[in-house]
Amino acid sequence: MDARLTDEHERVQETAREFIESEGGIDLARRQIDGENVVDDLWNELADLDYTAITVPLEYDGFGEGMVYLAALLEVAGRYALPGPLPETAAVAVPLIRDLGTEDQRSRFLPSVADGDLRMSVAVYDDETEPLPGGIRMGAERRGDEGTTEFRLEGTKTLVPYAAETDVVIVAARTREGQGYDGVSLFAVETDHDAVEATRMDSLDWARPMYELSIDGLTVGEDALLGPLHGGGSALVTAMDRFSVAGTAMLVGAADRAVELSVEYGTEREQYGQPIGRFQAVKHRTADMWVDMQSARSLVYYAAWALDEDEPDAARAAAATKAFAADRLHRVFGDDIWNHGGMGFTWDHDAHIYLKQAKSWRNFLGSPEANRDRLIDARLAAERNR
Amino acid sequence: MDFSYTDEQESFRRELRAWLEENAPDGWLEDPELPDDDAERVEFLRDWQRTLADGGWAGVHWPEEYGGRGASLIEQTIYREEMARINAPPQINLIGINLIAPTLIEVGTEAQKQRFLPKILSAEEIWCQGYSEPEAGSDVASLTTSAEPAGDGEWRIDGQKIWTSYAHVADWCFLVARTDDSGTKHEGLTAFLVEMDQDAISTEPIHQPHDDRTFNQVYFDDAVATDDRVVGEVDQGWDVVMTLSAFEHGSTSIYSIEQRYLDLLEYCRTETRNGTPLIERDRVRQRLADFDARIQAAKAAHRRNVSKQMETGTPGPEGSMDLLVSDELRHDLLNFAVNLRGPAAALWENGHNAFDDTSGYIRSYGAWIAAGTGDIQRNIIGERVLGLPKDDKSKTSHRSE
Repeated sequence: MDARLTDEHERVQETAREFIESEGGIDLARRQIDGENVVDDLWNELADLDYTAITVPLEYDGFGEGMVYLAALLEVAGRYALPGPLPETAAVAVPLIRDLGTEDQRSRFLPSVADGDLRMSVAVYDDETEPLPGGIRMGAERRGDEGTTEFRLEGTKTLVPYAAETDVVIVAARTREGQGYDGVSLFAVETDHDAVEATRMDSLDWARPMYELSIDGLTVGEDALLGPLHGGGSALVTAMDRFSVAGTAMLVGAADRAVELSVEYGTEREQYGQPIGRFQAVKHRTADMWVDMQSARSLVYYAAWALDEDEPDAARAAAATKAFAADRLHRVFGDDIWNHGGMGFTWDHDAHIYLKQAKSWRNFLGSPEANRDRLIDARLAAERNR
Repeated sequence: MDFSYTDEQESFRRELRAWLEENAPDGWLEDPELPDDDAERVEFLRDWQRTLADGGWAGVHWPEEYGGRGASLIEQTIYREEMARINAPPQINLIGINLIAPTLIEVGTEAQKQRFLPKILSAEEIWCQGYSEPEAGSDVASLTTSAEPAGDGEWRIDGQKIWTSYAHVADWCFLVARTDDSGTKHEGLTAFLVEMDQDAISTEPIHQPHDDRTFNQVYFDDAVATDDRVVGEVDQGWDVVMTLSAFEHGSTSIYSIEQRYLDLLEYCRTETRNGTPLIERDRVRQRLADFDARIQAAKAAHRRNVSKQMETGTPGPEGSMDLLVSDELRHDLLNFAVNLRGPAAALWENGHNAFDDTSGYIRSYGAWIAAGTGDIQRNIIGERVLGLPKDDKSKTSHRSE
């Protein structure tokens, strides 16, 4: 056992930090928030640093690393609320293609992702008020005669992160009637098709824009089907676990920064003739922020490791990560606002960027309540098998 | 990064598990129960610790030359997991085993080690820890119990200690007294090993809210300690206090909390309310799952901490996080366990013995206070981990307060 990041992980974090700082740090997110598209240029730089290749297997020009390595990098990205579909591409799409794809699909997508030429996202929801898996409704009708199989996709996906900034979206659709995840198939859909259109939604978090993706009778061949027909559900569940852990890793990095900001302000800001960080109300709130951040970080590392190692409790660990971190990290950002008094409640202070990011992640892919439900079911099953 | 145990570590687990199956007290594995009678319980626990010592399982973290196993921090973690798994009886001399002996091993004289360590291990001599005083609680450095040289290599000790666990049965006390009051409050303290069996020392039990009397007030009225019982240097006792406190913050109780949680889960699976198993109620499931997530977080954090300590050798102030999280988790869990009992929450559960949820829930208020209150742990995190400004008072002399 050595449950720490390795020296290599720490070196990656250091390099990433220096790079993002040199590009302006959190100003990248602020420029994105102000309406500029910083993703295109930024992505090229990320590719130059090989960050887009991290989870791509070695034989497809990648580094063959897993969630632990990626989580270490995403922590740094989260510190700056870094715009771009890095979790979507590296934590979700690449492992799905790696695990489910045919040789043809892997060679078509993975080397291009590694090179930075291909960005990917994932489209699961058809209804932004309906949780998963009920929220997957789009139908994919199977057609074709002997020898050829085609699928006709029709409908509008919603809450698709960065859809307009990505080349391929992995779309969850129903190829047959079924309960829950049964009958769900996954398709790799190219976004530059005439029948596909991305429309920006009014996202709470302007640094991480969400899109509606309308697919108007798009016909795709069998080479777009990712994994088994009707049987993409279990892979999708694991992919959503990776996605949640990746998102939480970013929030942990942001929370680490929020603690730093509170400590800086608590040390410098004086009221009643002394630094406010000397008051226990501020000191203890900040200590609690740190404890919650470290606890969430520990869960992220454990879940990332368990996912990489295919540990029997990997899904439970991912559920625990989301269940624990969603509201507690959200509170860390709220507490940072309060520690800063009036200054905290300004557009210039970074806490609101993090706060909105945390709220955007809260119910996305499964609320903490839904994850607690999964968690207790998994725990009961594990205890029965002991 | 690797959260798993090596084969060698797993074989340590198997060896301990096999030993426990052979040597746990009669009937314990089926139905763990401590004697109700105070005197009988003390004897039972002494016997248990002697059994552990004979098997080499009393002080696994001690060096082998003193009767331990030189267990690494990871092996100590496995030890805690396995002991929690069978709800093993506590070691009556835990203060001696976990705090005082490691301190003696680090800063004691060779003669002190030879004289005291074997009897700490076997519980032939039980130890208590004389730090807190009526006017020196969280601010322990402001203590005023005095020790003055009385010639012939003797010291005379006068004053009062409080919250002293096991003083009523202890043979020895690890006492911190003031030997010089001319400097700041952290200066002029000295640590002594004081024999409890003398007329000049009297103890008075404190009746605690869970109807137990393991805390005491201890009065020293010209009690005697000799020069060879001084630990470390005279007037340098604060260093010794800090050494011991690091051991206090280096241990974790998260594994026994996890076992308590698993027991509660089983209770919820089998107990029904209005014909429905508790576990099918959404409100119950949500709370249990939240505890589950908190426990997993604390365990993963503990493993990260242990991994770090395996390299640095010393527990850092991060130990305060473990203490704080564990104390509050235990409190919340037991509070919830009592609530789940329905209207019977108005009753003691079962003779208020050691494994009773009701007692445990009330006792958890004390656990939050012991070894530095939750507030003090938050100060330590705020100041020593995060570097927030210290309170002015922490530097001033005890005399000026």
